[in-house]
Amino acid sequence: MHSEAVGLLEMMVVMTALYMQGQSYIEPSIKAVSLQSVFLSALFVALYLESGDVGLLFLSAITLAMRGAVVPYMMLRQVRPSGRTLRETESSQRIASLIVVGAMVVMAGYALFTLILLPAVSAPSASVAFVLLLLSFLLIITRHNTLVQMSGYLEEENAVLLFGALIAPGLPLLMEVAVALDIFGVVLVGVIISAEREAFRTLEPEDLEQLSG
Amino acid sequence: MDQAIFALVFVPPLAAAMVSILPGGRAGLAASVAGGALSLAASALLFLSGAQGRYGYFYADGLTGVLLVTISSIFLTSVAYSAFYLKRVEGSLLHFRWYYALMDLFAVTMLLAVMVNDLGLIWIFVEATTVTSALLVALERQRTSVEAAWRYTLIVSSGLAASLLSVVLVYLSQGTLQMSELLVDPAARPVVLLLAVGFALVGYGTKAGIAPMHAWLPDAHSEAPSPVSAMFSGILLPTSLYAFYRTFALLRGTQYFAAAQDLAIGFGVLTALVAALIMGHQRNYKRMLAYSSMENMGLILVGFALGGIGAVGALIQVVSHAFAKSSAFYESGNILTVYRTKDMSSVKGMEGRLRYTTYLFLLSCMSVTGAPPFGVFLGEFMILSRVAQTGNVPLLTVLAAIYVYAFVGLNRQAIGMAFGEAREAAPPVREEVLSVLLPAVNLALSLLVGLLLAPGLMGAAGLASLPAATGGFLP
Repeated sequence: MHSEAVGLLEMMVVMTALYMQGQSYIEPSIKAVSLQSVFLSALFVALYLESGDVGLLFLSAITLAMRGAVVPYMMLRQVRPSGRTLRETESSQRIASLIVVGAMVVMAGYALFTLILLPAVSAPSASVAFVLLLLSFLLIITRHNTLVQMSGYLEEENAVLLFGALIAPGLPLLMEVAVALDIFGVVLVGVIISAEREAFRTLEPEDLEQLSG
Repeated sequence: MDQAIFALVFVPPLAAAMVSILPGGRAGLAASVAGGALSLAASALLFLSGAQGRYGYFYADGLTGVLLVTISSIFLTSVAYSAFYLKRVEGSLLHFRWYYALMDLFAVTMLLAVMVNDLGLIWIFVEATTVTSALLVALERQRTSVEAAWRYTLIVSSGLAASLLSVVLVYLSQGTLQMSELLVDPAARPVVLLLAVGFALVGYGTKAGIAPMHAWLPDAHSEAPSPVSAMFSGILLPTSLYAFYRTFALLRGTQYFAAAQDLAIGFGVLTALVAALIMGHQRNYKRMLAYSSMENMGLILVGFALGGIGAVGALIQVVSHAFAKSSAFYESGNILTVYRTKDMSSVKGMEGRLRYTTYLFLLSCMSVTGAPPFGVFLGEFMILSRVAQTGNVPLLTVLAAIYVYAFVGLNRQAIGMAFGEAREAAPPVREEVLSVLLPAVNLALSLLVGLLLAPGLMGAAGLASLPAATGGFLP
């Protein structure tokens, strides 16, 4: 059974996810995913204190450095130059209903995990990772802004790595390093493309209808 | 036979990438073509050597050699075709030296994905293909291409996180990710492996264009420059299916294998069906070709899932489709450079303007939809034969209907483009040798796959001898 510290940190991770779900401004979303990574990093340390697996410390350091600091910093630099991207073009009413959907996803995810995954993986605490995974999908699907979607992607990686740490400790370190590098690559591409998309937004709203069917 | 030959497969394109980004940027094309040719030679050597088993960091069997040859061939012809295509690209997102460097790295990541001996590394290299190829999709810097590149990056990366979960689950069950060990060890916790196969199907399936996770595919294929579309359709999608197949095969011999087969067949049929239904109603000819790739991938997935001659047929279809579809995308590039539109209604009576391209395009379309005696026909024939062997009549009926519907749908449109009445008369265009030669070579290779293999395989004796002849990757 895990310590109270682990339980508390897991809860904080989910709370940041729900906060992101209900956030219509871009900058706080990025800061929230950064905070989430800091909590996750601390969670890995707490898990290390229980198991003594040094790999977890390493995972903690990568999480803190990449998703806690470097990547969010890169993304925030995208937001600041152009003030008008501060808020996503969402009505606050829609965001409010998304919080409700998010809460329902938490409950459904927990039930789904207990029914289907738990018998196979026998690690009850991994339900948090599963719920986080579903919340990240929800964030990606329901938003249009590149940077918010990218925050969702970071959250998704957080979820998968947490899942790995909880159910299969001792996963080769190389994996973790490479995953971190991959994320960095995806985000780099994302930042370049995001700048291009912004450039097009200032033009006449051209028809994207070609990309259908 | 040691690791050196594996290194020879991926080091030349890697070196080409480094040469390409040198300031000045004139060497990119030559270096990439040389890198592709050397890589192809090493791949062919590896294939012919019949390498089998683990070689240090690498792993080879019948599947590996065939895929390496296919990937390096399509890479070689695609960079060569770029010499023609890039001349028509204006306002590029990247300097062309970066274009060639990214093409090289794109090829390196795919080559490594199909030869490393570690499921985790396979995942990493498949994910890395997204990083190396996303900017290539946006190369032409149109609003639509930038949007397509973003959808591609986001959907595929999010999807691939599901396959990362699958890697974690495999590790949970088996305690190792080394393929040489995984393929020998019995499944320790089959139910966990079944979950792993499910997540792998969603994750790698997203990248392979398996419905309903395929939303990115038509956009990226239609908006990317034609040589990049050829790489996507011909080799990227099969690379992703390969990654799925490696996880899928771990369940063999357990009580859950039948469930995994049903799952894969279900998704495969759905993909082929969705693609076949949409294909014939496209207005954009590059999107139409993209849906045709989806249809092929769906059938290939069914073949791999069924095993036996179905899996051999799937492999033949992978190779033949890669050559034929890359040819079709090169021709679409020729058409685009002359007509300046992807809208089919504006491209009529091509035969009067682009004579050679038109006939090559028609033949490529017939090839990718499985007209005999092209290799795709042979592959599909073998997959259907396997279905017939299993006695599943409803599945056989559905697959046959998809085959016919897709064939008619795509070729009817292609014939309309070739011989339909042009809105206004225009003089014939002088076609460049390179722009006709490269698609012709790849089309001929897709024919050759069919002609060389068919006589030996079509007879019952040939079919019976197959499992021994495929280097043991089959059950």
